[in-house]
Parts: sequence; structure tokens; C-alpha cells
Amino acid sequence: MSSHTAGTAAPDAGSATVRARDLMIAVAAALVALLALYAVFVDNGNLVSATGEYLHEFSHDGRHLFGAPCH
Amino acid sequence: MSDNSTPVQAPTPLPLLPVLGRGVLAGGAAGLVTGLFALLLAEPLMDKAIVAEEKRAAAEEAAAGHVHAAEEELFTRGTQHFGLVVTAVVVGLAVGVFFALVHAAVHRGRPAEGDGPWRRALLLAGAGFLALSLLPGLRYPANPPGVGDGGTVSERQALWVAALAVGVLGTVLAWQVQLRLARAGFGAPVRHTAAAGAVVLTVVALFLLPSNPDPVPVAPTLLWDFRVLSLAGHAVLWACLGGVFGALGLGRTSKTG
Repeated sequence: MSSHTAGTAAPDAGSATVRARDLMIAVAAALVALLALYAVFVDNGNLVSATGEYLHEFSHDGRHLFGAPCH
Repeated sequence: MSDNSTPVQAPTPLPLLPVLGRGVLAGGAAGLVTGLFALLLAEPLMDKAIVAEEKRAAAEEAAAGHVHAAEEELFTRGTQHFGLVVTAVVVGLAVGVFFALVHAAVHRGRPAEGDGPWRRALLLAGAGFLALSLLPGLRYPANPPGVGDGGTVSERQALWVAALAVGVLGTVLAWQVQLRLARAGFGAPVRHTAAAGAVVLTVVALFLLPSNPDPVPVAPTLLWDFRVLSLAGHAVLWACLGGVFGALGLGRTSKTG
């Protein structure tokens, strides 16, 4: 967190660029994380139809442990 | 979460990537610890529940007068045990990403001093446990294998996601209430009581959601033990996530400052 000391001297234009870049990183990371949670907790073979029930059955015990609905 | 000692100034954007890296590292470690914890303590219960389910299914079929061959399973129980650990790591990584993003958004432009990174991380982990584990878990507690009708799974998923959303909204409400009261000059007793009121309100809102429609044909002791272990697994995940994330932040502070 305190690595900002190196960046405080940056001019406003620079900090705006950092902010825009960070926003894109944040959105991309959130999307990937959400997709992972969906695949593990919600998907019933309809995310990638080719996976069928394999993904569901592989994460079966994890679903039960974390309290996600399962069949 | 209110560092009102910091003088008001244009918030300097802290680079996001190092925070995200801490979140991923802490989340992966927390997921692995949770997975091993569950493998050791919860798996024996899940195996027991599956054996009981198979016996129940066999007895029902015998009573109905026709006997099927045992249901073909995609994976052996051994593979599913391994899957539990992998799933826990994936969940830990994903939760770690969101943890880092929320942490960065809440504390944007206000670097922590001293043991601040540790306190902030533990506080956020506690909030995460309340919002995503304890509150939704009170309404829809975890069930062992053998519970859950395939026909109601979409309905139960909608209810579960709704409970997660209500848990998050209620926790944000409690935080905002105490923050605004602090800005208005109220002392800790008033702030904390008001925040507790917001949490109680959230519990009431959760119980306005429809109940889980499925029957739970499981022995009470097995059910209780499994639910306690499930909640303990959640607690292990959040505690490790907050602890590792906070410790990594401390390391940075002591090195640079």
C-alpha cells in the first residue's frame, strides 16, 4: 500500500492514466473472478455445454462445503 | 474503517496491481488451507452422508418393487475429494481478487500507518464473513450430499444469490451507518448499537425470503456437524485471507517506511 511514495511526484496527467489503467485492470480481474465463481458454484453444465456435468461433479463436494445449492 | 485523522487532500491513486497481487496470494493460500481443513474434517461426514443416501435410495426402490443398477457416477469419491481442494483454491483466488478490489476502493488514496494494514485487512475479512458467510448461512445453511432435489436447483440458486446480495447490502448499510454517525460526532456506543441494528434488520430481511423447498432426510447429528464444519470452513477462509493479506501489507510498510 505504501509504495505510493514513489508515485506522488507524478503530474496529474500521469495519475489520470494510472487511474484509467487501474480501472481496466479492476474490471478485467472482477470479470475473471466472477466467471470462476459461476463455474464452480452455479453452472450445471450449461457454461460450456461440452463440459456436461463434469465441472459440477468435480466441484460437487466444494459446493456442499460452501453451502452452494447442489442436487 | 474510518481513518478520519488523515487530512483531506486530493486522493493519490495507489497502484492497484500490488494490492491485487496480495489479494490473489492471500486468497490462494486461504483457499488451500480451507480445502485441506475440509478434506480432513468435512469429507468423512460427506462420505457418510453419501453412503446413507445410497442406502435410502436402494430401500425406496426395493419398496417400490423394482431394482435398478447402482447409479453410474462420473467421478470416484477419491477424485471428488481432490476436487474439493481444487474448488476451495479456485474460490479462495476469486474471493481474494474481490477482497483486494474492495480494499482498494474503500481505502483509495489513504495509505495506512503502523499496523494499519493488518487492522484494515482483518476488519474487511470480518465484514466479508458477516456479509457472505454468516448472514446467508443463517437463512440457507449448508446441506450435506444427499440433500437437494435436481428439480428445484434453479430456484434454490436464485434464493442463495439473493441471500448473498442481502448479506452484502446489510453489511454495507451497517458500515455506512456507523461511518455517518462518526462524522456527525456520535460516540462508539451509539455507532455500534446502530450498526448492530442494521445487522438485525438484515437478518429480518433474510427471513422474509422463501424457505429452502427441499426436505432434509439426514440424521440430525450428521446435519449439525456438517453445518458447523461448513461455517468453520468459511471462517478459516476469511481468517487466512485477512491474515495473509494484512501481513503482506505490513511487510511492505516496514520495508519502505
